[in-house]
Amino acid sequence: MIWEVFRQEEAGGYHTHCGNVHAPDAEMAKLFAQIQHGRRKPTHSIWVVPQASVHEVDDEDTAFGGTTDKAYRWAMTYDTDASFAQEIADSEEEQAAAERQRGRR
Amino acid sequence: MAAPTYQRADLGELDGAAAEALRTLLFRLADDELVLGERYIEWQVHAPTLESDLAISNIAQDEFGHARLWYDLLEDFGDDEPALIWERDPGSFRHATLVELPTRQGDWGDTIVRGYLYDVAEQLRLEAVAESSYAPLRERVGKVQSEERYHREHAQNWLERLTDDEPGRARVQAALDRLFPYALTLFAPVDEATEAAIEEHGFRTASLADLREQFLDVVVPYLESLGLDVPEPDEVERPEAVGRDGQHTEHWDALFEDMTHTYRELGRTSTTKLMEDPE
Repeated sequence: MIWEVFRQEEAGGYHTHCGNVHAPDAEMAKLFAQIQHGRRKPTHSIWVVPQASVHEVDDEDTAFGGTTDKAYRWAMTYDTDASFAQEIADSEEEQAAAERQRGRR
Repeated sequence: MAAPTYQRADLGELDGAAAEALRTLLFRLADDELVLGERYIEWQVHAPTLESDLAISNIAQDEFGHARLWYDLLEDFGDDEPALIWERDPGSFRHATLVELPTRQGDWGDTIVRGYLYDVAEQLRLEAVAESSYAPLRERVGKVQSEERYHREHAQNWLERLTDDEPGRARVQAALDRLFPYALTLFAPVDEATEAAIEEHGFRTASLADLREQFLDVVVPYLESLGLDVPEPDEVERPEAVGRDGQHTEHWDALFEDMTHTYRELGRTSTTKLMEDPE
């Protein structure tokens, strides 16, 4: 049985998928995941999830974000001054980059 | 009256018998860890699955790390690592014969049973030096204990799994019958006078007899709960070689040869250290 492993570096952070382990049950999956995925990198917590419990939808199944212009979703459509809010500036850049990426497909 | 505390700087002031007692205690700790680690790594690339291979190899690395902590304390008595391990007379090793026995070929249960018996004894022994009068020893106990917890969980998890059906239980029983008498050698004295000095100076705060009793209080009910028959401790035949007193089984010389083969083949006279101080 395959268990997908998610590692969290610090308390409060996201658990990020980092690989998988073969194990007959959750207890053993936790023991193995500690060694395989929590030994060499800073680790605060590990989740193990049966592979069969992970359900997927991918870009063949759906058009993520839709296909028509939805630029009104951007934070930049609000009247804010990015100079006093770095998060907004970052977010605008990320969204612009994502939009360009989408356009290329 | 509280026992005195000794620091590294006090070693020179200990009388000969006390210093020898402390050295002996450290050899008991260090040699057990080194030799057990050596047996564990024989599973590398042969363990039942990739994951179990990595887990047992990691446990072996832990044991080597613990051995390094204790050999490092032995260096304060004047010997360097080659003298303590690589160029040492194999007859002067003080590990219990439990850890030098070869693994029965292909028998994962054999390794798990040995690991379980050893890890419980190790836990109790660490508790008995956590309040040691020798400060450098007790200060290193905590980091070893936190790794040992994983070892016990690992061993118990496997034991519960292996005893889950009759063929597995029978194999675990066979391993237990074979290894149990040797597990009791973990509590054998190096010699009575040295062990008395270890206790007298407070280097270890429990006697070997106490440790043996605590050990049996833990392992007997647990193993019985898995449907295993535990040999009657006072009736088991004591192995001819217990290790602690320098008497080893015929397997030890071959293992020592293997372990030191590369050192000799490369004509080494010293060892590489990645960290000056293993702490």
